[in-house]
Amino acid sequence: MNTLLAVIIGAVTVYLAYTLYARRIDRNVIQSDPKRATPATLYMDGVDFMPTNRNILFGYHFKSIAAAGPIVGAIVAASLWGWLPSIIWLVLGVSFIGWASDYSAIVISVRNEGNSLSAIAHRLVSSRTRTVLLLFIFFYLLLVTGAFVMIMAQVMDSQPRTHLGIILLVAMGLLLGQMLYRWKVGLVGATLLTVGVTLVAIMSGPWSEPAFQGLNNWLNGLTGGAPLVTYFDPTLAGFKGAEAKIMPSLLFWAIAISVFCYAGSVLPIWRMAQPVVYVGFWITALSMVLGLGGAAVASFVKPEVAQFQIPAFKGFNPQLGPAGIMPLWPMLFVTIACGAISGWHALFGAVGTARQIENEADMLPVGGGSMFTEFLLGLLALLAVSVGAKGAPVGAFATGLGGFISVWGVPVQYAVSLAFAAFIVIVLVVTQLIFRVMRITLTEWLGDVIPPCRNQHVSSIVCVLLALLLVVTGTWVYLWQLFGGANQLMAALSLLLVTVWLASVGKNWLYAGLPTIFMYVTTVASLLVTAYNLYFNVYQPNREAGRMLPMVGSGLMVLVALLLVVAAVFIGIDGWRAFMKYLRRPTPAPKAAAARG
Amino acid sequence: MAIRPFTHRFSAGWEAVKQFMYGMTGHEFARHALEMRHELEAVFMVVTLGDLIGVPILPPVYSLRLLPYVVPEVARWKRHMAKRREFWEKEEYDMHGV
Repeated sequence: MNTLLAVIIGAVTVYLAYTLYARRIDRNVIQSDPKRATPATLYMDGVDFMPTNRNILFGYHFKSIAAAGPIVGAIVAASLWGWLPSIIWLVLGVSFIGWASDYSAIVISVRNEGNSLSAIAHRLVSSRTRTVLLLFIFFYLLLVTGAFVMIMAQVMDSQPRTHLGIILLVAMGLLLGQMLYRWKVGLVGATLLTVGVTLVAIMSGPWSEPAFQGLNNWLNGLTGGAPLVTYFDPTLAGFKGAEAKIMPSLLFWAIAISVFCYAGSVLPIWRMAQPVVYVGFWITALSMVLGLGGAAVASFVKPEVAQFQIPAFKGFNPQLGPAGIMPLWPMLFVTIACGAISGWHALFGAVGTARQIENEADMLPVGGGSMFTEFLLGLLALLAVSVGAKGAPVGAFATGLGGFISVWGVPVQYAVSLAFAAFIVIVLVVTQLIFRVMRITLTEWLGDVIPPCRNQHVSSIVCVLLALLLVVTGTWVYLWQLFGGANQLMAALSLLLVTVWLASVGKNWLYAGLPTIFMYVTTVASLLVTAYNLYFNVYQPNREAGRMLPMVGSGLMVLVALLLVVAAVFIGIDGWRAFMKYLRRPTPAPKAAAARG
Repeated sequence: MAIRPFTHRFSAGWEAVKQFMYGMTGHEFARHALEMRHELEAVFMVVTLGDLIGVPILPPVYSLRLLPYVVPEVARWKRHMAKRREFWEKEEYDMHGV
């Protein structure tokens, strides 16, 4: 297998699934009508409801859904099960479930006056859906922040070449916000300056490496080289499990990332979060475009970087820790989330994008098209980790992506430096936004019961501390899979809602109903497997060793997993009742026929 | 003659690429700028015409003097205030790709 063949498989998948399946559903089931008024045109308010050109909306929606998710998921899955199951799930997932979820969320909102999924669920399913959704969102965010902060701290601790670029990224983001919103500088000039400086800083990573390595060594020397926290991590030593040590330098970078996220959470969004995301977008977009292009031509130009290095298939139940089970079903289907299907896409599409749809004919290119493009991003991540050298998954990904970029003549060490930085940037910019949303969710959820939670600093600090607790617990693979379970469960919820809506308006519900059943059963099973793994693989060994902090963290994660299962059961029961109610109801007669009658 | 459709198609494709790039880059800033303007206008509307949503602040005589300047915005403002029900229906929930 080489990268050219994989890129061709990806392109053919997108073409066939879009033209043969997605268009057919859009034409025959949804019957999108370009003449029907959309909420953007009906309720235009100049802010949320705003008719927008389809190409602009395609770019906006794609950028809003594409970031760290498809990359991290593919990296973890390839290292656990091999590249073959991962690519099969990516292809089948996006073709039959992913596009349908994203597209249908936009459809259901457009056909329901631009209402959010929770408002529609309240009307069609049950009134307690909003509470369940809040619970989902908060724990979903907690899990993803824990996983992301841990991944970033580990990469920054082990890769001092990335530090200068990341520090300059934050500085340039702050400068960009000031330039755009206060000094009224044009976007093009401000972009050239800030992105250019950041890029130079990233590329000069190997040059600044010794200085930051010295900082790490100095920090670790403060404790005489002794770790601050020790815990049992089943993902170490080739997934056999070993003692993990949190050194002062790792904690320093975890805290530095948390401080950055705290600032992103409490400052006005234009001041920091939005411009940092924008600068980061250019860095990652550049890496991804060079990488995908490099993957396509590497077979001809530089064949040695185009050959897959990892096994195609590593087994149905790879060993992960002494007592762990990691069955391909259901765990693969939650490990790779965003490149195949994601619940957050639906949540965002229903409020962010649906209200800008100018014409019903735009719903498929925007919703479905963005999801297919995101699939290509997931495929690129899978290719990069598959051709990368052996070692830690993130390192293999950066080596692989660096190899693709080097096809264009960039020296390998600088290309790998850019790939590492691109990975951290894409995770970092998302994490600060997640903390922001988490803070708002906590305020909304507990603000009335615990008034101090209404203070943005208090709620932000609570979120940061909770995430740090998960970080010192270790085991980011489980954190990621729990996050994937919550995310996919949200996707199942949105598909369930679409199924109920299709039944309520007398349309064929199978294209959404069958994926709903698959995703629902799979995600509930995955949450139970993850809870089992966390208990026997992390909680038990740490309890036997008398380590309180990792014990509390892993115990908390087991509780979260079980809580999500309970919430899923409630949603399932309510959804089934609503579905049967609409199914038993006589199908409403078409308006034209009624008029003739 | 055969070249013309090709150039038309090329320029249409180029325009689509430019719009796509704008969607990924500038559109978000434009939306946020609109949002900021709207928030300022909302404060102004509440101060001048708060009576419409049960919050009387200015004495009616001043409201009446400001009325001609505000009239074009009233319908849109009321629609926007009425539509925004859930707290997550805000720009800040734009998660950028989780």
